[in-house]
Amino acid sequence: MSENGFNRRDFLKTLGWGGTAVALSGCGNTSIEDGAEFVTSYSEPADYVIPSIGVYYNSTCAQCDAGCNITGRVREGRVIKLEGNAASAINHGKTCGLGQAGVQAHYNPDRVTQPKLNGQTVTWEQALAAISEKLAGASGAEVAFLTGGVSGHVRALLDNYLAALGSREHFVYEAVSPAVERAVNTKMYGTAMPRYRIDKARAVVSFGADFLGAWVSPVNFSQQYAKFRKGNRPEGRGVLVQIEPKMTLTGANADRWIAIRPGTEGILALGLINALGAAGVAVPGDAAAAAKDYTTERVSAETGVSADQIGRLATLLKERTPSLVLAGSAAEGYANGSQNAEAIALLNRALGNVGATIETSASTPFPQLAPRVGNRAALTALNDGLAAGKYKVVFTCGTNPVYSAPASLKFADNYAKAGFKVALAQYLDETAQAADLVLPLDSAMEAWATSVPEYMGGEGNYTQLSVTQPLMERLYADTRSTGDILLALLKQRSPDEYSGFEDFYAYLRSALLANKTALGGAGEADDDVFWNVTLSQAIIPLQGVVSKSAPQSAAPALSAPAAADASYPLRLIPSVSASIRDGRHANEPWLQESPDPLTTIVWDSWVEIHPKKAAELGIVEGDIVDVTSKSGTIQTQAYIFPGIHPDAVSMPLGYGHTAMGRYAKGTGANVYSILDAVYDKDTGELALNETSVKISKTDKRVIIVKEEGPAGGSQVNRAKIAVKVSADKVDLSKEV
Amino acid sequence: MHRFLRLTILLAGMFVATGSHAAGQPFTGTEDQLGPEVPQPIEFPHNRHAGKGEVIDSGAQDPTQKYVGMEINCMYCHTYARRSMVSGIPPLRKCIGCHQSIESVREAPRIKKLFEYWEGTDGKDAQKPVPWLKVHDLPDFVRFNHERHIQRFYFQQGKVTQDEAGGNDGIREVCSYCHGDIAAKNATVARRQKPITMGWCANCHQKDHAVDATGTETARGPNDCFTCHK
Repeated sequence: MSENGFNRRDFLKTLGWGGTAVALSGCGNTSIEDGAEFVTSYSEPADYVIPSIGVYYNSTCAQCDAGCNITGRVREGRVIKLEGNAASAINHGKTCGLGQAGVQAHYNPDRVTQPKLNGQTVTWEQALAAISEKLAGASGAEVAFLTGGVSGHVRALLDNYLAALGSREHFVYEAVSPAVERAVNTKMYGTAMPRYRIDKARAVVSFGADFLGAWVSPVNFSQQYAKFRKGNRPEGRGVLVQIEPKMTLTGANADRWIAIRPGTEGILALGLINALGAAGVAVPGDAAAAAKDYTTERVSAETGVSADQIGRLATLLKERTPSLVLAGSAAEGYANGSQNAEAIALLNRALGNVGATIETSASTPFPQLAPRVGNRAALTALNDGLAAGKYKVVFTCGTNPVYSAPASLKFADNYAKAGFKVALAQYLDETAQAADLVLPLDSAMEAWATSVPEYMGGEGNYTQLSVTQPLMERLYADTRSTGDILLALLKQRSPDEYSGFEDFYAYLRSALLANKTALGGAGEADDDVFWNVTLSQAIIPLQGVVSKSAPQSAAPALSAPAAADASYPLRLIPSVSASIRDGRHANEPWLQESPDPLTTIVWDSWVEIHPKKAAELGIVEGDIVDVTSKSGTIQTQAYIFPGIHPDAVSMPLGYGHTAMGRYAKGTGANVYSILDAVYDKDTGELALNETSVKISKTDKRVIIVKEEGPAGGSQVNRAKIAVKVSADKVDLSKEV
Repeated sequence: MHRFLRLTILLAGMFVATGSHAAGQPFTGTEDQLGPEVPQPIEFPHNRHAGKGEVIDSGAQDPTQKYVGMEINCMYCHTYARRSMVSGIPPLRKCIGCHQSIESVREAPRIKKLFEYWEGTDGKDAQKPVPWLKVHDLPDFVRFNHERHIQRFYFQQGKVTQDEAGGNDGIREVCSYCHGDIAAKNATVARRQKPITMGWCANCHQKDHAVDATGTETARGPNDCFTCHK
């Protein structure tokens, strides 16, 4: 105690009394703030607009390519909540977490709000003039368009614009694309995206198709799965077996989860055909011939799945018909990915599932509106063109290749070689940042559009045209929809044809009204009636065209997966999480905040390591490790996870942005940047799982931010906890 | 000794400081208590619209000087009060709907300003909503529902019948529980009349109120935290 100072006891006393005084005086002061805000005041509102009462408008979700139909609740002119549209054949009134976060794409604080030319804010007139000027000096072949998947009238306008330019350089690129699946389905089932009837199956064997999480149309599949799981349906409760090297959300829901050696899924499928034939199932000749060498002993040795397990699987498939076998990205992401998928499709044919649980779907009767889908081959082609300095003007829209292209493509460097780069962007993401001109896009809650979903639910030849309509007025006066921008560009090229349309809305209305009869509006005498019905439903049901090509008789020659490189002993399996997906939504904080379903980690990426492997490497949970491939190194936190094959590690895609916004930038590590450029031999799709890595410990350790387990706490006994988890009891790869 | 004095002075100082802060804030009470003046774009006279139709000077030349008020039902303008959380501000269209046929006050400064919002100036900015400021702005963690109170105290208690005589006494009485007597002289939109604090709300919720027109059955207001607090 100091002689004349204020001692500790006095200090605490003062603090206590002072605190009490403040607290007491605070009571009753949290009252009303007169005159601080404006009252909702209208000049002439519609009858149904009542302050504090929601008005509901139907539209289409733009968060992923499933294209669910949604209903937005609007209060006082602001959209506040999204739900599924109950009339939808895709999502039947439900949405997923990703869809719920759609409002955060709309209200995001990091949206681009004004056109920017070389970093300077410009007007739309200046921006369009700049494009016009650059296009004047370019021939059609020197202009390229890179987009994500497009469909509907935006696609039609884009095609018209490319035709007006004389360009055929439209590249469609999706970072995570079911391209292998489309190719194999066309070959084996005669249709690129058949209807999977999980609800009709008595057993589902899924080779890495995360249909409850992120595969193709998860909300549709989740609802089918709910029916599949109910004991009260005529077929009884279905059984789900998931075979994959890294446990997904679907794997966690499965009755049996089987860890398989990465890349050997096709071998197991052929082994099952062989075992089924031996068990007395009438297997078609081509399938039997393809599978004859795949004895259970050989398959067991090559896949790491026990003979007993293979026998049980064969029995399950034999007893429970109809069944459904699915192939997802975990089976397709290899150099022999197409072969794997073909072997799995062959298993479906052997089981007689084609036509029973795999139904031919119908395509839209308007081929000019059909979805144009893409793959990595398109990106590679564009990249080669860019490297050769072929393009004077490049447009990008709805895709972010500077972020998601594998580093070995050197896309960013090649992109810089393009003469004039125009990015249509909602955020200033990596690609937009590298562009010369950035055109601000409307959010999906402000734009007009139509779309045709690639995967369509419903029955028979049902298909639909989904309408996207604004749920509220633009938040920023200077954003435009993709359709508006394309129309403005078309007005430059063919003014005679397009100057009659004031904006994309006018174009869309006239285009739909012109086809009123074909769109099922024959009974509606009045254009306005048809239009109002269309907008209130936002779904135009259509009779689709069933065009089925003859399935090819295939005997896939399975090539063995590449042997592991001794210096990179672990297989890296990039995972697609249900919320972050390919990374385009990384700047929506709800998605960063919602825990990963299996690890419960938030706001960061991680690397999943099997407990045994971790013990071998001396790694415990929270260790910061270097994940090194031939293409690069990234750093992240280690997470000890029994739901992964011991020879594999897994990291989620979509993190580690260097731009895009405050929430995405610097959160986690970018897995795309270390992917090796290995492609599927048949389709040219990037083989996502073909990257081998080594893990090395750094001297840093963190407390992983997660919901599960004894989070945080003392660091002292950290090693002890991790060792406990890695006990053999939880080695799922052996246990199931 | 010095040390003791120093501590006392410090504590006393802190009480004075926090106390003077508290004195500037409204206290919890049940009586009329004017809130701070809120500068509104138009000084709207509630008494003129909803006040009693008593005669001031039957021989006056200026018709506005003949009567105190027009006895307009509160819900004619605040039309959302019976079906929504908020009572709502009447749309500008409604003000103009009446006032375009009331020639006698057309040139009054307030009405001229009103028409400026409707017609715009120099052909621009027509139909702009009047930017009224909130006078009763509850904290964000409090929920208040007009519909419930109007349904309970006006419709259920049969105050509608009371109005059949032709006046607006019933609804004015109900609104005045929280908004004060709108018919009072100089009642404008600039000031809050009641404290609208939690204690003030609870004071009424703890009393028995009739649940129907007969008044034989009574019940208290809801007393659960989550009824009002979000």
